[in-house]
Amino acid sequence: MASLGTFLLLASFVVCSYSAVVAVVGARRGSRRLIESGIGAFYLVCALMACASAVMINAFLTGDYSIKYVEHYSDSVQPLFYKITSYWGGLDGSIMFWVFLLSVFGSIAVWVNRERHRELIPYVVATISTVQMFFLYLMVVHRNPFTTFLTTAPAEGQGLSPLLQNFYMAIHPPSLYTGFVGMTIPFAFGIAALITGHLDDSWLRAVRRWTMFAWLFLSIGLFLGMIWAYEELGWGGYWMWDPVENAGLLPWFTATAFLHSVMVQERRSMLRVWNVMLVIITFFLTIFATFMTRSGVVQSVHAFGEDRTLAWLFTGFMVAILTFSISLVIYRLPLLKARNELDSWMSREAAFLVNNWILLFSAMFVLFGTMFPTLSEAVTGQRLTVAAPFFNKWMLPVGLILLVLTGVGPLLAWRKSTVKNLVDQFMWPTISGVVTAAAMIALRIPLWSSGFCFALCAFVTGTLVQEFWRGGAIRRKNTGTDMLTAMIGLVGRNKRRYGGYVVHLGIVLICLGFAGNGFKRTKAFVLDVGQENTVGRYTLKNLALKISDDGQKQMVTAHIAVFANGKQLDTAYPAKWSYRRHEQEPTTEVAIRRTLAEDLYIVLGGYEAATQSATLEVHVNPLVDWIWLGFGILALGTGIALLPERAYSFAVAKMPAEVATSAGLLLACVLLGTTTLSAQAGMPSASASTQTSYFARTPLEAQIQKEVVCTCGACGHAAIGECRKDPCQVSHELRAEVAGLIDQGKTHDEVIRAVIASHGGSQDMLGAPLDEGFSRLAWLFPYLLGSGGAVMIGFAAVKWSRSAAASTETPAATDSELEERIDDELRDLD
Amino acid sequence: MTHRYIKIGATVLVLGLAFSGMLWSTLREGTEYFKNIDEVIANQQEWQGKKLQLHGYVVPGTWVKNTKSLEYKFKVQNNPARHEATGGIVEASYTGILPDTFKDEAEVVLKGQFGPNGFQVEKDGVMAKCPSKYEAASKSATSGS
Repeated sequence: MASLGTFLLLASFVVCSYSAVVAVVGARRGSRRLIESGIGAFYLVCALMACASAVMINAFLTGDYSIKYVEHYSDSVQPLFYKITSYWGGLDGSIMFWVFLLSVFGSIAVWVNRERHRELIPYVVATISTVQMFFLYLMVVHRNPFTTFLTTAPAEGQGLSPLLQNFYMAIHPPSLYTGFVGMTIPFAFGIAALITGHLDDSWLRAVRRWTMFAWLFLSIGLFLGMIWAYEELGWGGYWMWDPVENAGLLPWFTATAFLHSVMVQERRSMLRVWNVMLVIITFFLTIFATFMTRSGVVQSVHAFGEDRTLAWLFTGFMVAILTFSISLVIYRLPLLKARNELDSWMSREAAFLVNNWILLFSAMFVLFGTMFPTLSEAVTGQRLTVAAPFFNKWMLPVGLILLVLTGVGPLLAWRKSTVKNLVDQFMWPTISGVVTAAAMIALRIPLWSSGFCFALCAFVTGTLVQEFWRGGAIRRKNTGTDMLTAMIGLVGRNKRRYGGYVVHLGIVLICLGFAGNGFKRTKAFVLDVGQENTVGRYTLKNLALKISDDGQKQMVTAHIAVFANGKQLDTAYPAKWSYRRHEQEPTTEVAIRRTLAEDLYIVLGGYEAATQSATLEVHVNPLVDWIWLGFGILALGTGIALLPERAYSFAVAKMPAEVATSAGLLLACVLLGTTTLSAQAGMPSASASTQTSYFARTPLEAQIQKEVVCTCGACGHAAIGECRKDPCQVSHELRAEVAGLIDQGKTHDEVIRAVIASHGGSQDMLGAPLDEGFSRLAWLFPYLLGSGGAVMIGFAAVKWSRSAAASTETPAATDSELEERIDDELRDLD
Repeated sequence: MTHRYIKIGATVLVLGLAFSGMLWSTLREGTEYFKNIDEVIANQQEWQGKKLQLHGYVVPGTWVKNTKSLEYKFKVQNNPARHEATGGIVEASYTGILPDTFKDEAEVVLKGQFGPNGFQVEKDGVMAKCPSKYEAASKSATSGS
């Protein structure tokens, strides 16, 4: 099998070089047949790499330990899932996985664009093939994953490091690689555009989506790495500016910059050189990041082996990329002239420009900091290092400026903002920011830097709400639907813009989490059995220390009771596990008690089995969970922006008015139904006297019984139709009241209002807030989450059942400046 | 036109100066010397009080813990235990929790400075090499196919 794998890699290399050469020759001679042949060969590489991957995974599954790589990264007791993920567990395999992904993405990109960008395709094929050739070359001559033992093969493997036998770690590399590899596609299109001179904006359209896709996976990859570090490594934090982490961050910065500046080029035909350069730099940084982490150039805590040959191969490749691309850019400079100039610094393009500079600065700064030890050794002969405080000191203000721009950018008009629309746009967001800042001062929270960050978060959230609200209001006026349907329609009309806003919301939440780091508390102590110690508002007590064994590992678990305000909240079980064959690398199993306000993070640092004493390190991490939540929102927003344009707007156009609201209600009913259903299981049946009123005589009564909640205080506000607290007089009376009101011939809304009025006028009586006025805000969230899925399903159904008809929607002419601006932008960005 | 260039030039100059000034000041307090034990052991006096990242290997069987507190004492040597010569040995003390990967013969980097009682490691200043997916080249890159 191993020789088959090696053969497949060799064949891929040969086919790759053929594809690159033939595509270029075909393009230069104008021979369609040669180009087709090149593209065919390009697809063939994908097939060959798929086979090679299959061989590799098969070797892992069958435990073919004659292959060194398999022997090194797996063993027979490993769960199936980790056997498969061991494929990318080591350097050699990860390079192979890289090529496999690149061949898949490349094939998809070429297939999708084969007609639309016919003139670019040969060079796209050639560029991607060249990159593939480099990595295949690495494998064939230097790091062949199919290398076998020359002597007798061992009967058992060494096994994947237990630290890496973690769900997040298993899916973190593929996500990060998807991001890295995805960045090759924009680069290939950029190079093709430069070579052919087709430098109008059409190549940008081809790569915009790819960049967004790659960016999404890069973000998810970073997120998974962070959450893995947080949960598995047990040092209480998630980011420590380690070179390996920084490597993933570098292209993220430049890709983010590109996603913003590309809009300036589309709108204003400016920044054309800049955009090409960003694409090149982003790709370069993905290669550089790989180089940095794999070649041992940078000292890191992670034991990335030193590999001089690999370092030189990479250096050569990187020099080649830079020389080639930059000379191409210089050669094409005349074609890349901007068609417009910056009109004013009070314009959106200026905000994007500043945002780009800062993002690029961040990338360069992190690069500088990461390479500093190497640089200082080369210059002074002394190896000087910089650590997390240095990065934090610099990146904190940089991050805050970026956060300001996140809010400011969308508020500025293109070209030039007038004083009037500045006041109009900035008033509410600024007020929300200032009010938050005042609240921070009142609460004695230090204004620098966390308080400031909170205020900025409020400011940005203010801008986002305002954008959604105003856009929604106009659309509502024009289409006559309710606010929420209007807002969803708005998102559908311009997914990139509003998806982008959702991403911004995610960023705000992430910043909120980062700001919480300023209030972190850490304490370490030894607890004998029965002893207590206090951290923040928590008191911890060591109940016992237990040692158990499950066959695969030995587990030492501390039983720690957690008290707050004299009440026991929980029992935490921080542990240390030692896996068989890896006794020397015990893993720390952190006990985390998560709440949105703060995490209680308990690490079992050491123990004394004889006395059952436990050494604990305890962190109280405020707001950490908002980071993970923020990443979720960010992914959702990117998903919205990535949805195919036509599909979504078609579906929205077909939707009847107010469908969102009714869908939301339906969803709420279903959710309410299921939760109360689970609550009622196992409860004793109610007594006869109060039970008669349960049976709703009409559908209306049944509905209201689900909407009004019981106030008996013992059922946790179950709906009156569901409160089974036996016998519940309160819900019985409420049901009777509702029945009476219905008998008077009142409608649904009148009944609800009457019930509220007769109980002090508070909406506490309702299972969900009334869908009106301010309460609608509370509805927004489930809408955003639920309607996405509903709309997609609905769309599929509509598409199958009807033929496409043009949307007849014409906006009514209401002559306000804002509407003009929004419509103008919708047109241009659609 | 020249007026414009002067403006741009002045802006770039001011930003550049501010930037390098800040960089210089933060680098001065933020940097630490990365040294192997043998490099500092010869003239330990010279390094007294300077922030260091000391690279070495834990001498097997030398680390002891005070059972009632989190104080550790251990010795670190310049060369891996398997080497014939150990190289210089430094006594280190640390208060806190040691990482899981800290063990006999482990390759460590200690942050801290030399004090009267040997090398005083600062809080969270022990970094032991992680077992990583990416292993050293010498192990698997011996022969091609």
